[in-house]
Amino acid sequence: MAPLKILLDSRNTPGIAAVKIWIREGSRADPYGQKGVHQLLGSILTRGCGPYSNLEVADIIEGCGASMRCDTYEDGFLLSLKCSAEDQSTLLPIIGWMITAPHLEPNQINLERELCLQILNRQKESPFCQAFNSWRKLVYDKTPYGHDPLGRQDDVRKITRTNLVNLSKEFIRREKVLVVSGSFSETILQEIQELEPFARLTSIETGKESLSKTKLDFRAKPSKQSVILQNQETSQVVIMLGQKTISHSHPDDIALRLLACHLGVGMSSLLFKRLREDNALAYDVGVYHPIREYKSPFVIHASTSKEKALLSLKLLLKSWEEILKEPLSDQEIALARAKFKGNLAHNSQTISQRAERKAQLIGFNMSESHDAESLEEIKYISSQALVESARRHLQNPLLSLCGPEMTIKELAGYWNDHYESFRSV
Amino acid sequence: MNSIPEKFINGPKVKNWSLHNGAECVVTSMPEASLTCIDLWCKAGSSYEENGEEGIAHFLEHMIFKGSDQIKEGEFDLRIEALGGSSNAATGLDDVHFYVLVPPHAIEKAIDLLINLVLSPCLKEKAYSLEREVVLEEIAQQSDQPDEQIFQMVLENCWKKHPYGKPILGNENSLRRSNANAMKKFHERLYIAKNIALAIAGKIPSDIENIINKSELSKLPNYKESPSSVKGYETIPFETGRKEVEVKRLESARIIMAWPIPCANDQNSIMGFDLATSLLGEGRRSRLVYKLREELQIVESIDMDITTLEQSGLIMLEACCLEKDVKEVEYCINQILTESILTSPTKKETERAKQLVRTGLYFSLEVPSQVAALTGSQILWERYQPLLEPLDHMNYWSSDMLCKEVFNQLQPERSFTLIARPQQEE
Repeated sequence: MAPLKILLDSRNTPGIAAVKIWIREGSRADPYGQKGVHQLLGSILTRGCGPYSNLEVADIIEGCGASMRCDTYEDGFLLSLKCSAEDQSTLLPIIGWMITAPHLEPNQINLERELCLQILNRQKESPFCQAFNSWRKLVYDKTPYGHDPLGRQDDVRKITRTNLVNLSKEFIRREKVLVVSGSFSETILQEIQELEPFARLTSIETGKESLSKTKLDFRAKPSKQSVILQNQETSQVVIMLGQKTISHSHPDDIALRLLACHLGVGMSSLLFKRLREDNALAYDVGVYHPIREYKSPFVIHASTSKEKALLSLKLLLKSWEEILKEPLSDQEIALARAKFKGNLAHNSQTISQRAERKAQLIGFNMSESHDAESLEEIKYISSQALVESARRHLQNPLLSLCGPEMTIKELAGYWNDHYESFRSV
Repeated sequence: MNSIPEKFINGPKVKNWSLHNGAECVVTSMPEASLTCIDLWCKAGSSYEENGEEGIAHFLEHMIFKGSDQIKEGEFDLRIEALGGSSNAATGLDDVHFYVLVPPHAIEKAIDLLINLVLSPCLKEKAYSLEREVVLEEIAQQSDQPDEQIFQMVLENCWKKHPYGKPILGNENSLRRSNANAMKKFHERLYIAKNIALAIAGKIPSDIENIINKSELSKLPNYKESPSSVKGYETIPFETGRKEVEVKRLESARIIMAWPIPCANDQNSIMGFDLATSLLGEGRRSRLVYKLREELQIVESIDMDITTLEQSGLIMLEACCLEKDVKEVEYCINQILTESILTSPTKKETERAKQLVRTGLYFSLEVPSQVAALTGSQILWERYQPLLEPLDHMNYWSSDMLCKEVFNQLQPERSFTLIARPQQEE
């Protein structure tokens, strides 16, 4: 892959454009003792770069009424710019300088470090976040997806400027894809290529060994622990059941996404009907199955009050068991297909969504037309094939519980009593 | 830089008309959209609840999805989602809206389904009792979120004597006491033609007027004498003051300041406050962010937000900081606000704020659901205007005018201030 691939996606908009740059490797490549270094680097890219100081960058962006940010995910950085087509020539160089010449000034690093530590601390206010962090520890501990992209507080405190400088040097050589979606000038490709920071990028060779190919190891340490508890004096209990599964490019990915549609997408989904409509156990119930380059989480969850928690757990387990045992009916699989198709349409409504999806697919070394191909493929996936995929990838879910101590202990007891029989499905 | 493209100036094409019974309709053509949004609005938010009805507006929103005289329970979701669409609803203080997003070929069917669902709900007692438990779970979930608790505390304190100060979700006691019959009466009282607006945005069929004109919405009778459907725009009492509270499971302290602003119909004033919030709290170069987060580094975040409402709106400033810094943060905020009336903003500051507000509006017109929400709420509240008309008000707001008319209002002594600290463990 070339160090910078550029894709243009012309759309008839009211004169606006979204620019996305995906840079391979995010928090999954945080070295030992530096969990959070990718996020910290991402956060200071807009705080001074190339010929512009921190304040000059802010002046230019805000003066155009534009938005520019860098988000760090597990699999990569995503630099986002949304602006009027008229302002592209002013703003595009900045995004190039952010990658090739960030200033990394010590006072700006310390500011972002403090902000990051406070955000990490504030996550404790959300029981859902607490339950997910515990679940992630149980399932992914000491593997590349084992920590929040924001990092670990102890590590974030210790990250040095040298760590960031070293990462920024490596970062320039990583595979990148730039997508412009929306309204832009006919000569934009040439303009980008001629901009000094982008010219620098195209002259750089990609690193010989991609980190993802050499260092990623998702094998967790063998453990008999199948449930993790987080005591919280809350009104509700958050129940999360799930496991790490497969990459977005895996041939079975579409099957798991159809199962996710069946379980948790929309008000006609199994979990919504079973837990909310039929039994009034929860307001918030659903599936979390994000797109990842490697072992994606597949989680079902419900938030429910103490008295209803045990029945909620039983119904979540029953739903999980069903997808391992029973093929979907013709009507159910047709509905799952419609939701899959609908999701693609819902998630490509804005130019930002379109640009991000294209950047992500190319960044994962997948086909640009993956979504169109998927729409063809789902027509031919049978219910039996879904059961077989579920048996291959969903046989070993683990449980996370967050809520009042007595209640979650009772739930854990039920889980422990039934865990082995549940696994033998 | 910053010249406005022609497409910006025009905005998407909007057409609106009234049905003979008083219901309003608006369609916005967005021919490139892959999904079309159908959004049905009703003047039946929580502020229309009478004593003993607390929470019923929102509860009704839930119950409407439990089926109608023609649609069985669960059938609506199934049919919309089988088309690759989605549906949802939201209840506010003034109004409630129900919307679906569907592929263009399904528009006509979706209009019929949505209108029937909202106008002719079943409201059966058994489903009512079951769904009440779901709403109680929603209340429990909200009570576990410290931010939600703090937000509600601010509303309760600054609008003590007005329904805007009451929680939209209601409370357990009022919900336990309620029944399906009372809900039917609430529905009959408020879901009437002249309280309703239908907004559609996306790819629009050429015979859309005909489709809507023969729909169930046009058959809805218009009860001309319905006092509760007419709300006045009188000034509502706002309580200034300052309060400190400790909140369970809070990790960082919050400083919230709230000020009343004019009602949504006063769009010129709203634009002034919008510009002021950008100038003070949006982006790294805004006064508050620059001073408190960038220079002094004593807040994790600080921002300002406007809530526009039909009787009186609200501006809220929220700072999130370590507890040890609360005193200094509050002092600095007050100082910036106090000094803001001494000298007018620079030309650069005002232009920056205008550009942020301008592009914010352009960016919000990209997706059918946002456009339908905007046009639907405007037409519901009789604000007939092109989508970009609010920008015309910008010309009124010079730096001097912002200083005299807006910053003058946003003074500490005119606010209600809530300091929320983490509760000390026993």
